Amino acid sequence: MADENGSNLKQFTDGIVNNNPVLVQLLGMCPMLAITNSVANALVMGAAATFVVVMSNTITSLLRNLIKPHVRILIFTLTIATFVTIADFLLKAFVYDVAMKLGPFIPLIIVNCMIICRAEVVAIRNGLARSLADAFGIGIGFTFALLILGVIRELLGAGTWTFPFPIPGIAPEGFIQIMPSSFADNGHNWVIMVLPPGAFLTLGVVIGVVNWIRSKSEGGA
Amino acid sequence: MDFGLLITIFIGVALVNNLVLAGFLGICPFLGVSRKVDMAFGMGCAVTFVITVSGVVTWLIVHGLFNWVGTAVFENAGALYFLKYVAFIMVIASMVQLVEMYLKKFFPPLYEAFGVFLPLITTNCAILGACLYIDMKPETQNLINAATYAFGGGVGFTLAITIMAGIREHINFSDVPKPLQGAGITMLVAGILSLAFMGFTGIGK
Repeated sequence: MADENGSNLKQFTDGIVNNNPVLVQLLGMCPMLAITNSVANALVMGAAATFVVVMSNTITSLLRNLIKPHVRILIFTLTIATFVTIADFLLKAFVYDVAMKLGPFIPLIIVNCMIICRAEVVAIRNGLARSLADAFGIGIGFTFALLILGVIRELLGAGTWTFPFPIPGIAPEGFIQIMPSSFADNGHNWVIMVLPPGAFLTLGVVIGVVNWIRSKSEGGA
Repeated sequence: MDFGLLITIFIGVALVNNLVLAGFLGICPFLGVSRKVDMAFGMGCAVTFVITVSGVVTWLIVHGLFNWVGTAVFENAGALYFLKYVAFIMVIASMVQLVEMYLKKFFPPLYEAFGVFLPLITTNCAILGACLYIDMKPETQNLINAATYAFGGGVGFTLAITIMAGIREHINFSDVPKPLQGAGITMLVAGILSLAFMGFTGIGK
């Protein structure tokens, strides 16, 4: 990754596809499981984590010549904690309802191993451009993985897709009804999908499917 | 002191709202260190220790230090609350360092076996998560309840990871479809375990 020769563009797309933090590297699983019971939560969480990883990669990359190796983890953690505090205040200011639903999982971005891993693997050894490309790739890849789970779980569990704020034209009330409304009203919805076990089962199946697709494409190449 | 409330808090966090299976905290070690029962149990004990001490220390920092300095200097008890997250993570990192040194000195084989997962306890969300929950919940606003909550959380984590390790030792002998091997089947098993733990819903509160 860091020592591979490749363009910044490749670093960016790697984060989304080949090196997807959740589905391939299996990092940052806690928020992945906990908050994906609705699309709105997944979007807000993805945005917050992207903000934090971009800022932490920027700071780490700019300070990379000043940071002594033995205190680096401490510096990373403090940088991340600072930006998570900022993100927490921003979310509470602009999307209060969703921020309340996410609860402790916003501060828990601090201990998301995905972000510390990017600082350690990429930002501490590379210049600003490459670190930024990597951070955006990883952030978008993370959001993408969250969305896959959010879309499946909310569809089967409630029959809707919610958004953090109303979108005129598409979702004026802040959600789209995908399944007919009789789905949830008559109790045909899979309540288990929005409860904790649904998260584990969906992620298990999604990881299985991703592995299957990867083994197919590697076998074909 | 209200023993009934203490028991409710303990059972609540250890079984009903188990940090791993209902709260999704500490999934990384739950997947990474659950291959062998003895290692999983050791990890559970280390986490229980760190979680209890960190829970108590962070409670003291918020209710003692922050409130006192806030009141004395800024005349507002909540003036320093924006520093909470930074303070919590510093406390946890120092506690993990302590456990690491202790294990290295007295249990070298266990220390070797944990490898990279020992420093990673710092980034175990179960610990920061428990500290944050203690800070948020109305019933953990006194020290003994907070300590009980933290200890119960650690016991719940140990329980979950040890059960998981027991199941995984058996999975080694079964014929799992190739794409599901490793993380996939572990997640599915965790889902079923989580279903089982939902059976505790309704005990306590």
